[in-house]
Amino acid sequence: MFRKYRKKSPWILHYNAGSCNGCDIEILAALAPKYDLERFGVINTGNPKQSDIFLVTGPVTFRSRERLVELYTQMPEPKVVIALGSCTCTGGVFRDMYNVEDGIDRYIPVDVYVPGCAASPELLIDGVVKALEILEEKTKAIEKPFRLFKEASSENGIINRRHSALKVGEKDEED
Amino acid sequence: MIEVMLILFAPLIGGLMYGFERVLRARMQNRKGPPLLQPFYDMYKLLDKQAFIINPYHTVLGIMHFLTLWTVVAFMIFGQNLLYIIFLHLLSVIFIILAGFSVNSVYSHVGANRELLSALAYEPILIIVAVGFFMMHGSFDISVIRQNSASIVPLFLLFLAFLLLIPLKLKKSPFDAAEAHQEIVGGVEIEFSGVYFEFIYIAKWLEYVFVYLLLVLFAGNNAVLGTVLFLGVFLLVNLVDNATARIKMKHVIQIVLGIALTLGLLNLAGLSYV
Ligand code: SF4
Repeated sequence: MFRKYRKKSPWILHYNAGSCNGCDIEILAALAPKYDLERFGVINTGNPKQSDIFLVTGPVTFRSRERLVELYTQMPEPKVVIALGSCTCTGGVFRDMYNVEDGIDRYIPVDVYVPGCAASPELLIDGVVKALEILEEKTKAIEKPFRLFKEASSENGIINRRHSALKVGEKDEED
Repeated sequence: MIEVMLILFAPLIGGLMYGFERVLRARMQNRKGPPLLQPFYDMYKLLDKQAFIINPYHTVLGIMHFLTLWTVVAFMIFGQNLLYIIFLHLLSVIFIILAGFSVNSVYSHVGANRELLSALAYEPILIIVAVGFFMMHGSFDISVIRQNSASIVPLFLLFLAFLLLIPLKLKKSPFDAAEAHQEIVGGVEIEFSGVYFEFIYIAKWLEYVFVYLLLVLFAGNNAVLGTVLFLGVFLLVNLVDNATARIKMKHVIQIVLGIALTLGLLNLAGLSYV
């Protein structure tokens, strides 16, 4: 019944998972007078418990991954996740660095990928519009983030942790 | 009958005021701004969200805050005793402060602390305003104040003191340290979510109704002056909100207690000589 109002008041939580700040400046540009995202009812709340859209920038550094998952689990359903910027989608220029996790979709389910380094405000607005379409379809069923990666394995000299991924709630044999 | 209708629709009126304010603020910043009914869209959306309950007391205190505030507005519309209304309003503020302290979040504690400090700053002034009305009209009853002619000229200093309170009460710049969205993420309201945040959100609208109802008391039975006062002050408060930066809580208290209390007491002293 209230489903159609989801589209009209998307509140955004922005989290910087170790980005270079290029994309964050573009977000500010989108909120500023020229593009004025607030005319669609968008508010940048900064509070996970009251937001609908999780807007992440940055390739997820080793230190920021726990906060990323924590913020994600603190957001009430229904919610959508937008990965903003190339490095958030795939690791971008930071790919395969020793302290970087190559994109947020290894930890949390992502709904919209917005490419570009830095992604332009127009692309961001397109991404938000797409995300709103998805948000309207969503139910209150809980989506689970992935468990934090544990051991790093090395493969052809490249260290990564993606083989030890588990969903939260999945049985962990080693514990 | 009309009073009952007004009371029932008080939150809606507050919501419209809030929506209009957001448009106005956007226009002042050369933006287009959200639609006028945006607060109601937000409200419907919040109904459909999952809600987290941190602990039962926190939630119940939040709802109590909303209900008391609505009662305050109802008493104002019915024209009851002003002093009683001010204390009942203090009770509603205490509920939200207790809610802020009842959870473990640091931001919530800081917010509740600041809320308490700001209550300390504005409460004496509200009481002095009530005393000023009593000295003018010989009664604390709002219905009596509304029947008499406008008292803004003899109470002009008190009116200025009250103007200083409005940004503090509505959490606007430069006195918005209690809410401070960019540093403590809303203060006391941070742990509310879903439908329970709704109560806090609507309580904010009721706060608008409360403050502006107090303001038009200065106009007495003069409806035109009342409208002019309301519109003028509404514009002024938003202009100041857009043009100033947030100041520290310490300075808020110094400014409000220093300037507004002095102005108010001067006004009272002047009244008692006349
Ligand atoms: S996509 Fe490029 S500009 Fe954006 S945060 Fe990553 S590295 Fe910076």
